[in-house]
Amino acid sequence: MSVNRIVVFAISLLFSAAILSAEEIAREPYNDRYCMTCHGVDGRGNEGVQAPRLAGMPAWYLQRQLKNFRAGIRGTHPQDIEGLAMQPMAAKLSDESIADIVAWVGSWETIAAERTIEGDAARGRNFYSACALCHGDNAEGNEAMGAPALAGQNDWYLLTQLKNFMAGYRGSHAEDIYGAQMRSMVNTLRNEAGIINVVAYINTLPR
Amino acid sequence: MSKPVSRREFLNLIGASGGSAAVLTATSALGLLPTTAAAASPDLLNPGSSKRQVAILGAGISGLTAAYELTKAGYDCVVLEASHRAGGRIFTVRSGDLIDEIGNRQYCEFDDEPHMYFNAGAARIPSTHRNLLHYTKELGVELEIFINECKNAYVQDDNMLGGKPIRNIEYTTHARGFMADIMAKSLSGIELDEPFTEQESETLLGMIRSFGDLNEDNLYTGSLRAGYASGGFLHHGVQKDMIAFRDLLKTDLGRLLLNANEGDTGPVLLQPKGGMDMTIQAFVANLGDRVKFRSAVTAVQVKEQGVDVVYEQEGVRHKIEADYCFNCIPTHLMAGIEHNFPAEYVSAMKYVRRGEAFKAAFQAKTRFWEDEDIYGGGSWLNSPIQEIWYPPHGIHKAKGVILGAYDYGGRAGLMNLSQEERIELCLAEGEKVHPDYRSLVEKPITIAWHRMNHMLGCSARWSRNRGQGWTHEEETMYHTLQKPVNGRHYFIGDQISMHSAWQESAIMSAHWALADMDKQARATA
Repeated sequence: MSVNRIVVFAISLLFSAAILSAEEIAREPYNDRYCMTCHGVDGRGNEGVQAPRLAGMPAWYLQRQLKNFRAGIRGTHPQDIEGLAMQPMAAKLSDESIADIVAWVGSWETIAAERTIEGDAARGRNFYSACALCHGDNAEGNEAMGAPALAGQNDWYLLTQLKNFMAGYRGSHAEDIYGAQMRSMVNTLRNEAGIINVVAYINTLPR
Repeated sequence: MSKPVSRREFLNLIGASGGSAAVLTATSALGLLPTTAAAASPDLLNPGSSKRQVAILGAGISGLTAAYELTKAGYDCVVLEASHRAGGRIFTVRSGDLIDEIGNRQYCEFDDEPHMYFNAGAARIPSTHRNLLHYTKELGVELEIFINECKNAYVQDDNMLGGKPIRNIEYTTHARGFMADIMAKSLSGIELDEPFTEQESETLLGMIRSFGDLNEDNLYTGSLRAGYASGGFLHHGVQKDMIAFRDLLKTDLGRLLLNANEGDTGPVLLQPKGGMDMTIQAFVANLGDRVKFRSAVTAVQVKEQGVDVVYEQEGVRHKIEADYCFNCIPTHLMAGIEHNFPAEYVSAMKYVRRGEAFKAAFQAKTRFWEDEDIYGGGSWLNSPIQEIWYPPHGIHKAKGVILGAYDYGGRAGLMNLSQEERIELCLAEGEKVHPDYRSLVEKPITIAWHRMNHMLGCSARWSRNRGQGWTHEEETMYHTLQKPVNGRHYFIGDQISMHSAWQESAIMSAHWALADMDKQARATA
């Protein structure tokens, strides 16, 4: 019996007004810790459903994204396929659930993602100098700039997101301040080849 | 008037039928008509004193089949199920049940009565699915007839007849009449070239007439089959007015109506009495505490002589060192679990796409459809809800549970909406067929299978060329995934079949894997 159930049951006994049936008391309990179904064991990321690695992502970034998804600031553009999949899963999360999830994710061991994308890392390195201003020389992230760590993230996820930023599928919502910041920067990569090369370079960074 | 069938097309048809007829004559003369292969449980070798341990990942029907057969044969089995319930997509929802859709969890509030249930996943058993039927028989699961079609149910399309629903029987009677009319005319034209003998022509024409209820001049002028405008019992039946064929062609639903009862969904269909999961319940009762719930697999390592499986139960990780592993975890979820599968196996796992499907159900306050001569079957709508099904069980009881929507994916449908939006759409569309629908139904539930916790999908979709069949590469990947890793790890489930979305396919995939394992076991025994 979950804490909530016990509380409800106790209140109902106190006032003797609402009497729970045996079925109601026996109802299957649940919580909001369902992340691993999509994001893989210990949040390692799952290419099978295009759900990115969560382990190792900074708490402030996870919290912001969960709140953005919940508010529809992210994951509502009709072309953002993966974002659309995520958005309803976050829509009903309470602040408490988000805090609980973020703390839970923080307890997972970080395993760097498998490298699946090849490109011209040397060219990517040139492009990356612009990225480094916010995301750091080693793509380690920078909370002050609101820029998440990129090193060790699933490269297929970075590819999708950079393409989405470039096409305006992500970061176009009026309230997505950091997304707008990213959108203004992503065009320095010019095209898909530029994106692949910069992801290939990020793949070479220490993780 | 439509263009008649060309002479070439017609001759092709005759040629084809002539060929098979010739073969049939020969075989029946020799008494070689195909015999049906009876369902056979795998005859597994008892491992004897070397008690062999088997880890079964997932308590879907393929996993339960494997566990049941292996336990019977003397293997030591454990079934690890991530969710709180067994059965996977065989899910009967009853009073109080949790529907664990991520972001849209619901408890079912239906009245707690034996007939007030909803088969949210698998809902029909074709009479040819003999392996499944074998288990229902062996496990003592009582079956009853499932009524897939009621001719008095409705067909509704906003584009047809101003959106007014018509009875299925009207649509199909007229459609067949008009088609037969065209066929009869085509036949008389071609007859002159004598592709048929006189006797054959007469037989064929008789069939066409009967198919469409044509008059003696081989014309369709309406039919009493469409129902009576009045009378029919104590007075002569009065034929209903015809509906112009052009009006019926305003909807695409004819395609669905005319094949709804062919192939897998052809009569007769069956269902377990009390809910589709009765088979699952029987398997689980048989296996007892070998089935571990809320036990999510976190790692699978195939070794030289077995498979190590790690799973998490109540926050604690446990390791099983099994001799064999049968795995019905959907491949798209297995891709997110630690494993050491070979590269070509992983590519195949990532290739399979997860299916989408959506169902909604309501508790009906009265069985209002029975007052409209509808018993079982379903109405077809050209709308996001697509179908409304009327329960074939609980006839004449006070209430029933109806299916309020069935969307099998491929369109921007209900599944991406919020719970409130889904319900409103179901009500708004349902009202087009049953005007008082909104006030007649209550206690809705909805299920988007691609969002269900621990599943994230309906049946696996291998072929990416809809209607074109499988490519050679897809067949190769399928066989890669069917083959065991190191002779120790087998993927099973309807995902490892060429006919996904059926319980029979899942069971047969388990039988294939068991037979393959047994062959090895016998070779080394």
